[in-house]
Amino acid sequence: MIPVIQSLIDATSAGAVYALAALGIGLVFGVLRLANFANGEIITGAAYALLLLWPVSWPLALAASVVVAVALSLLMDLAVFRWMRSQSPAALLIASFGVSILLQRFYEGIFGARVLSGSVAPALTRSVNVGGLRLSLLAIVAIVLAAILLLAVHLFLTRSRMGLQVQAASADFRVARILGIRSGAVIAVTLGMSGILAAAVAFILTAQSGAVDPTFGVQATVFGLIGAVIGGLNRIGGALVGGFAVGFALSLFTSWLPSGFNDFRVAFVYLLVIVVLLIVPNGIFGGRTAKERT
Amino acid sequence: MWTLIVPMVVVWLFALLASNVSPAAAIDLSYALATLIVVVAMWSFIGNSGVLSFGHLAFVAVGAWTMSLLTISPLVKSSVMPELAPFLAEASADPVIALIIAAAVGGVTALISGFALMRLHGLEAGIATFALLMLVVQVLTYWSAIGPKSGQSMTGIPRSFDLQSTLLIALIVIVLAWSYGQSRSARLLRASRENSQAAPASGISITRHRIIAFTVSGALAGVGGAMWAQTNRVIQASQFGLDFTFTTIAMLIVGGMLSLWGAVVGTLLISALNHVLGVLENGVQIGGVIVSLPSGSRLVVVAALMVLIIILRPSGITGGREARWPFRPRDPFLTGVVATPRAATT
Repeated sequence: MIPVIQSLIDATSAGAVYALAALGIGLVFGVLRLANFANGEIITGAAYALLLLWPVSWPLALAASVVVAVALSLLMDLAVFRWMRSQSPAALLIASFGVSILLQRFYEGIFGARVLSGSVAPALTRSVNVGGLRLSLLAIVAIVLAAILLLAVHLFLTRSRMGLQVQAASADFRVARILGIRSGAVIAVTLGMSGILAAAVAFILTAQSGAVDPTFGVQATVFGLIGAVIGGLNRIGGALVGGFAVGFALSLFTSWLPSGFNDFRVAFVYLLVIVVLLIVPNGIFGGRTAKERT
Repeated sequence: MWTLIVPMVVVWLFALLASNVSPAAAIDLSYALATLIVVVAMWSFIGNSGVLSFGHLAFVAVGAWTMSLLTISPLVKSSVMPELAPFLAEASADPVIALIIAAAVGGVTALISGFALMRLHGLEAGIATFALLMLVVQVLTYWSAIGPKSGQSMTGIPRSFDLQSTLLIALIVIVLAWSYGQSRSARLLRASRENSQAAPASGISITRHRIIAFTVSGALAGVGGAMWAQTNRVIQASQFGLDFTFTTIAMLIVGGMLSLWGAVVGTLLISALNHVLGVLENGVQIGGVIVSLPSGSRLVVVAALMVLIIILRPSGITGGREARWPFRPRDPFLTGVVATPRAATT
C-alpha cells in the first residue's frame, strides 16, 4: 500500500508541474490562437535568472525570474507574433518553433552550451518520513504552489473584470472586440500570466535539478503543449487537466513499468497521447463540433 | 509538364554547380540531395492535404534504419549490435533493393499510422504526428533487437551511392512526387484542402485520400532516410528529432509548402545558405583578417529567415505556385485568386 501512495504523491507533483506549463500555453492559445512552443525558452530564461541570482539573494532571484519571464513573453509577442495575428494556428506554431530555436542559440551565446549548475532553494531538497512514506518537501511545494496559482488564475478569470474580458476574448476574439474589450490589454495580461506560470515551472524544475542548459524548458513545454492539446485547446480548464494527466502518466510509468519496459516509458506516454486523440479528436474537454475543420 | 521539368533542371544545374565549386561543397551537396528527398516527401503529404505533419522524420528514421540494417556487413553488425534479432542480423541486400525495401517499410509504417492519425485536423494532427515521431524515436533508441544498445549510434554503413546516383535518385523522387500530385487522388485531396466543407459534400472521402497521400509520402521519406543514412554513414535515433524536423519544415515553409516547386526552391536555398554559413563558421580570410561566425549560427539564420518569411510572405518564396514556363502570359485564373494566406497555412 505504501509504494502505491508514494508513487501517487510523486505522480501528483510531476503532474502539477506539467499542469502549470499546460495552463500557461492554454491561456495564450485561448486568446491568441498561438500554441507557443517558445514557452520553453521563457521557462529557460527564468531558470537562468533563478540559478544565477539565488546565491546573491533569494527574493531578488524570485523577483528577477518573474520579471524575465513576463518580459520575454511580452517581447516575443511584440517582435514576432503580433505581426501574424491573422494566420492559422499551425503557422503560428511553426513560427514559435523558430523563435524557440533563436532563443536557444541566444542562451548558448551568452551562457555557453554546457550545463550551468547551482542550487536553488536547497532547503526544499530535504524529505521527511511519515509512516514509511518519503515525503519530499519539494514535491509538496510543487503541489501547493500549483494549487495556489491555479486557484489564483481561476479567481482572476471568473471574479475580475479583466479576467472576464480574457475569457470573452478566449471564446471569440472578434466578437469580444466588437463588444468593447480592450484587446491590447487583454493580450498583455494573458501573456503576463503565462510568464508568471512559466516562472513557477522554472522554480520547481531548477529546485529539482539545480542545473540549467539552453534546452532546459523544452521537455516541460513539449509535455505541456501535448497536455493542452489532449485536454482540449478550446477550454482553458482542459489544458490544465491534460497537462496534469501527461505528467501523472509519465511518473506512474516510470515507477510501475517492469524493468525491461522502463526505457520505453516516454514512448508509452506518446502512445497514450495518440490513443486519446483517436478517441476524442478535439481533446478530452474539447466538445464535439466546437472547432472548424481545418 | 513544365511544373516537372523546371524543378528537375534546376536541381540538376544546382548539383552541377555545387559539385564543381569545392570538395566541401560536393559533400554538402549529397546532404542537400538527401534532405531534398525528405522535403519533397513531406510536400507530397503536407502540400496536397494542407495538414501539418511533424511526424515525417519517423518515416525517415525507419528508412534509414532499414537501409543500414540491410547494407552493413553481418560481421560488423554482430559486433556493433550484439542483441539484434536473428533475422535482422543475417539479412543483407543489394543497395538498390535495400533502398526499395526502405521505401516499402516507410510506406507501410505511414499506412498503419495513417489509419489512426488521418482523422485529425489542424493542430491536433500536428501534435499527434509529433507524438508518432517521438514514439518511433524512443523505440529505435531503446529496442536493442532492432538496433544498437540504448541511444548508441549505428556505424559501418557502407557508401553505396556516389554523388551521381544520389542526384539520379533525387530526380526520380521528384518525378514520383510530381506524378502523385497529378493523380486523381491528389487532385481530390487538394480540393479538400481548399474547402473542407464542400469536398466531402461532393462525395470526396478526405480521410481515404489523406491516407493515400500519407503512405506515398511515407515511402518517399523512407527513401530520403535511406539516402541520408548512407550519406552520413553513422545514424543515431536522436538525430531524427526536433532540429531535423524544424530544418525540413523550415525549408518547406520558406519555399512555399503548397507547391513541389516551393519544396525544391526552399531546400536548395537553405542548403546553399547552410553551406555558405558553414564555410564562414570555419573562418574566411578577408583582406588579411580571418572572419568567422560563431558555430551554431546556421540554425539561427535559418530560424530567423523562416520567421521573417512567415510574417512577410506566408505562402513562401514561390507563393505556393508551381513553376511555369517563364515566357507565357500569366493565366488570369492563377493570379490573385489562388494561394490566399489562409488557404496556404491551414
